[in-house]
Amino acid sequence: MRRALCIALLALVAAGCSLDDDGVEGRASAGAPTPACPAAWKPGWQQLANDVGTRVYCPSWMPSPIDAEIGGQWNSDGVIVDEDKSYLAGFLWHEAGSGDVHVNFRGYPGRSAVPRCRDGKRSIPCFSDVRGTRKVGGKTVTVYTVSRDADQWHVTYLWRENGTLYTVSEHVAPPLTFQRVLANLDRIVGGLEAIEPQSA
Amino acid sequence: MRLTRKQFLGGAAAGALGAAGIYELVDQLAESPPRAEAGELAEEQYLLSGMKLLTHEGVEVIEPPLHHQVVTARLAVDERRSDLREAQRALEAALAAIERRYDPNPAGLAVTVAWGLPYFRRVVPGPADRHLPIDRRASTSADRRVSAVLDAIRFPSDPETTILEDNEVAFLLRSDEREHVADAAASLFADTDGLFELTSIRKGFQGGGFSGGAGLPKAMATAAGIQGADLIPEGAQLFLGFTSTQKATQGQSRISSFETLGLVDVREGYFRGGTHMHLSHLFENVEAWYLDFDFRDRVDTTFRPGFQAREGAQTLKQDAEAAASEDDLRGDFRQHGAIGHSGSIQPTSRLHMDIRGADGDLYRKGSAIPLRADFNTLDNPFFWTSDPDRDRHSEQPDAGLHFISFNPSSDDFRRNRLAMDGVLPDGTRLPLQARSRAQGLNSVLRTTHRQNFVVPPRSRRSFPLVEQLR
Repeated sequence: MRRALCIALLALVAAGCSLDDDGVEGRASAGAPTPACPAAWKPGWQQLANDVGTRVYCPSWMPSPIDAEIGGQWNSDGVIVDEDKSYLAGFLWHEAGSGDVHVNFRGYPGRSAVPRCRDGKRSIPCFSDVRGTRKVGGKTVTVYTVSRDADQWHVTYLWRENGTLYTVSEHVAPPLTFQRVLANLDRIVGGLEAIEPQSA
Repeated sequence: MRLTRKQFLGGAAAGALGAAGIYELVDQLAESPPRAEAGELAEEQYLLSGMKLLTHEGVEVIEPPLHHQVVTARLAVDERRSDLREAQRALEAALAAIERRYDPNPAGLAVTVAWGLPYFRRVVPGPADRHLPIDRRASTSADRRVSAVLDAIRFPSDPETTILEDNEVAFLLRSDEREHVADAAASLFADTDGLFELTSIRKGFQGGGFSGGAGLPKAMATAAGIQGADLIPEGAQLFLGFTSTQKATQGQSRISSFETLGLVDVREGYFRGGTHMHLSHLFENVEAWYLDFDFRDRVDTTFRPGFQAREGAQTLKQDAEAAASEDDLRGDFRQHGAIGHSGSIQPTSRLHMDIRGADGDLYRKGSAIPLRADFNTLDNPFFWTSDPDRDRHSEQPDAGLHFISFNPSSDDFRRNRLAMDGVLPDGTRLPLQARSRAQGLNSVLRTTHRQNFVVPPRSRRSFPLVEQLR
C-alpha cells in the first residue's frame, strides 16, 4: 500500500504536481530547491515586468487545476495593463456545479494607497475589512476579507515594496473554504519569485 | 411488530425531543449567566421574567436564554367536546407540572404555548369567531373587520419556495439549561400522550461573548463546519455579527400584548394578556455576508446608510430618540439608493407618540413595539420534521435563524416586514429589487417557512375556547 502511494506521488511530481501537507494537489515547478517561477510561465511574467517597468512577482505554485502561465489556458484574458501601469493577471477555472478556482495578481507601480473602486455613485476602497497581518515568504502582508471588482468574494493579501503596491487574491468558493484559501495564499505568496524588468 | 407511520413518526419525534445533536456543544462552550430571581407567573405567558440586563459597548442589552426549542404539532385528539375538554385538562396539568419543577426564568424554564389559525378554524370555529381579537387599525384601513391574527404571507423578498405552514399548535421552550428544555419537552408530550402529532422540532441557541470568549455563534458555526464561520467576529451574539437584544429595540413590559396600545380590540377580553406570534425560519449566508459586505456595508445595511459606528462594534445604540422616521427612510433611499434594516423598520415598529397603555404603563415616543425572541440555529431547516421531503430536510448543519416576534397583530408584523422590503405603510414601494444589495440584510437571507399564531394568556393557553363549545 505504502509502495503504491510512493509510486503515485512520484508520478505526480513527474507530472509537475505537488501535494500540500494535507494532500491538496497543486501545480508547481518540479523539484525546485527554492521557489522559482516555472520555465513555462516565466516569459509571460518577464514580458509583464518589461511592460510595466517595475518588478513583478511570478508564483512558483498555483492551486490545482490552474497554473499561472500568462496567455495559457487558465488566463484567457491575458494581462490587463492600465495607462498608469497598474496591472491585473487573473487565472480562473470554473465548472458549473463544481465551483471556481480563481487567483488574481495585481500591481500598482508608484502607488502605496489602497486603490479605490466604484460602487454605483460611491468611491470605496477596493480592499477592506483588514484581518490582521501575516509574515509570508519574507513579506509582511495585510489580509483583507472584502474585495471588489474582479476580486469580489476573494481574500486578498496586500503588501508594499519599493513604492509599489502588490496584491494576490483568491476566490472563496466551493470547493475551497476560507481556511483553504488562506493556506493557498500563504503558499502562493511564500513562493513568489521576483522578476525584474529588462531593458530591450 | 409492524409500526404504523403515525407510530413510527411518534417514536422518532420522541427521540428527537430529547436528543441534543450538535447543540450539546452549547453547554461546553458557554456558561449559564447568573440570573435574577424569578417573579410571579405573569398572565402574559410570552414574557420572560428574571432576564439579565447588562451593558455591552455602552449599550443596555438583555441577555437571552442560551437554549431555545420550538415544537410544532397538529392535534391527534377527536373533535368531540368531551375529548377536547379532557385534552384541555391534560395539557394544563402537564404545563402546571413543568411550572412546579422549574422557576419561570432562564435559569429554570419558560414555556409559551401558541395556537395556529388551523386550530381555531377546525376545532373551535364558532367561539373563535366571537372571541379572536380584531385589529382596529387594519380594519379601518381595509374598511372591513380584520382579525388580529392572519395567515402568514410571502413577502416581496421571500422566494417562491417559502412554505406557509399550517401547524395547529407551537410550544416555545427557553432555558439556560439544555436538560430543562429536554426534560420539559419529553414530559410534556409523554403526559399528553396521544393528543399531539408532532410536525417539527426546531432547536438553537443565543449567546454572545459578552463576558469574553468567541461567543456561541462563531464557536458553534466553526464546530459545524459552516462556510464563513471563521469570519464571524469573536464575541458576536448572532451569526451576522451584531447584537439584537438591545433593551431599546425590544418591546418593553406588556407593549406587545393585543390590548396594550389600543391597536387591537380584544372584544369580551378572552385573549386579554395574549399576543400575536410570528414564527419563521431563514437561512443566513454567513460567507456572503462577510466576504461581500465590509464592516461599513454591514452597518449601513443592518442599521442605516451612514449610521455611525466604531470599526468592529457589535452593539450599536438605537435609542428611542434616534428612531428613524418615514421621511428618514425616503431620504436614505434618495441619497444612497439603499435602505437599512433597522432604519426601514423603525418608522413602523416604534411609537410615534407617548401612549398610556391599557396596562397603565406610559410608553414613550420611539419605544419599540415588537418583542423579538429569535435564536440562531444550525437546523437545516429543522432539527426534526415529520415531512422531510416538503421541508427539504437535511442532516447537514446550516446557519440560520428561527425568527420569533411578538407583535400586537399580524398586520403590525406585516407592516414591519414589508418595510424591510421597501413597502411603506401608505403603499409606497421604493424601487428595490428583491434580495438586492440595496435591501441589505435581505440579500443574504432566505426564508424557508412562515406561520402566524395566537398566544393566549396563561390562564387560557390550553386548548383555548374549547370550554365554550356547545
